[in-house]
Amino acid sequence: MLLKLAWLNIWRNKRRTIITATSVFFAVLLAILFRSLTDGIYDNMIHNVVSYSSGYLQIHQKGYWEEQSIDNTFEEDGQLYQDLLNNPNVTQLMPRLQTFALASNTDKTKGVLILGIDPAKEKAVNNLHEKITEGQYIVTTTDHAVVLGEGLASQLKLKVNDTVVLLGQGYHASSAAAKFRVKGLIKLGAIELNNSVVYMPLQQAQYMHGATNRLTSVSVMLDKTTNLERVKQSLKESIDANAYEVMTWKEMMREMDQFIEADSTGHYIIIGILYFVISFGLFGTLLMMIFERQHELGILIAIGMKKHLLAFVLFLESIMITLLGCFTGVIAGFLVIKWFTAYPIHFTGELKEVYEDYGIESIIYFSSHEKIFIVQTLVVLLLSILLAFYPGYKVMTLKPVEAINS
Amino acid sequence: MAKTIIDAHNVSKTFNPKTIPVHAVQNVHVHIEEGEFVALVGPSGSGKSTLLNMMGGLDEPTEGTVFIDGIQITTLSENKLIDFRLHNIGFVFQAFNLIPVLTAKENVGFVLQLQHMPKNDRKKRVLSLLEDVGLEDKINSKPSELSGGQQQRVAVARALASKPKIILADEPTANLDSKSAANLLDIMAKLNKEEKITFLFSTHDQESD
Repeated sequence: MLLKLAWLNIWRNKRRTIITATSVFFAVLLAILFRSLTDGIYDNMIHNVVSYSSGYLQIHQKGYWEEQSIDNTFEEDGQLYQDLLNNPNVTQLMPRLQTFALASNTDKTKGVLILGIDPAKEKAVNNLHEKITEGQYIVTTTDHAVVLGEGLASQLKLKVNDTVVLLGQGYHASSAAAKFRVKGLIKLGAIELNNSVVYMPLQQAQYMHGATNRLTSVSVMLDKTTNLERVKQSLKESIDANAYEVMTWKEMMREMDQFIEADSTGHYIIIGILYFVISFGLFGTLLMMIFERQHELGILIAIGMKKHLLAFVLFLESIMITLLGCFTGVIAGFLVIKWFTAYPIHFTGELKEVYEDYGIESIIYFSSHEKIFIVQTLVVLLLSILLAFYPGYKVMTLKPVEAINS
Repeated sequence: MAKTIIDAHNVSKTFNPKTIPVHAVQNVHVHIEEGEFVALVGPSGSGKSTLLNMMGGLDEPTEGTVFIDGIQITTLSENKLIDFRLHNIGFVFQAFNLIPVLTAKENVGFVLQLQHMPKNDRKKRVLSLLEDVGLEDKINSKPSELSGGQQQRVAVARALASKPKIILADEPTANLDSKSAANLLDIMAKLNKEEKITFLFSTHDQESD
């Protein structure tokens, strides 16, 4: 009875109900699209950055992160790979040996970051081969050649097919020295990396450093939408926690995490303002609903309807209008996101170049994580519940005679 | 000897007692017995509605006591008073007293739903009441589709629905033409005789009686 009464009441003034529900609709739609867009951009940015650098998660020998020395490497272990890959959220593993060395060419010398990589695995994750600007990408783990960052090659005045000499410290204080043919030059978005990186086939790096079969890290790639902390915990439980440490990209790249946190705060404020404005519209409707029906409310109390039932009817009316807007807003949001997922927006012109210079795909991704839809719906519902307290309060304090005479 | 249904002693109502007091009702005694059909006659502003509201527990007297069927309603809590009205008092107001979004039968059935009457019993009673007021062919009409007289007859049917001990009608004929007014009074008088329900209605029209 109460449900029916509330439903009929909201359609007494169709235009007002439609306008109010439409304002809720647009608030939910805009909030969903906004969150989806920003989350999509962040997800894409994180994916791009972590695939070149740390991975979403990284496995090290325990203590490596505190003292990043080649002596803190661990032996490649098929069982470890298997344990990691058994987790359904893990999509790819990238074993790496990362060290520092001096690189020289004729009279030029520079400190460099050596990244011993499995070329095929890196290629599958971060399309490293597509960043080659001159020459070729390294193909196998035994290829006796390296790929240099463009900036580094320029500083050392090296070209493709030139030879670079590398000198560093090997495993257990041995000396690490070798010369390699420059097979290709690569352009990376991160300037620091571009000016210092030497990509080397993993086995060559291990051989050069006297660290056969040893790794500094295994970078773990995950599904973009995976809950990082949950997977970290799960991986920690599946591997030997005494031998290895598991770190998230947030722990390894705190600056980026903090940047996203700060940027998100701004977005929350924008969405908050949006909801604040919408709240006024909804509140206005609720006020109208109660003030124009004072006489009728008084009659209902007079004939024996308890005030809390009446307040509940008004509460239902508020929820129904909100749900109407929410429901249609979520459907519209879902369809728009579906559309942009199928047909993503591609940047063109200068913006495209800027994005690509930073090593980020020049595409706007929309996140379709269900959390976005659920959270926005709950926020609007919560708002309407809070706002509905006022009409409820007015009914509870209503004097039937005054209401009937109004 | 008939049972006393309304017993009000020394009832007064003063509006704005702290600023400019308006004495709407002063030291009134009302004694009505079960089954009586009583008209409260007086010009506009004479305090009829105020007195009726106090008899029905819609307003509190500034002074005095009101007993309905032996229960002192002036001391009941708000919730108990609403419950008391639901089961003991039927109201008919001047106008616009039906729920506009409900049909005639839903308006009448609404009170019975508040009383938690089973659906089948409710349906039967609603039809019988609407027949009593001559609106069996308008059961699915909304108030906006009914004339003023028909709306008041639905209001009477609704007031009767809960089988109240008394029906208080505040100028029920005020907004009706003379024919509809006479018709409504006939129905009320008939129900008073047949159902033995006490009617107390106010009017400023001397000819209503």
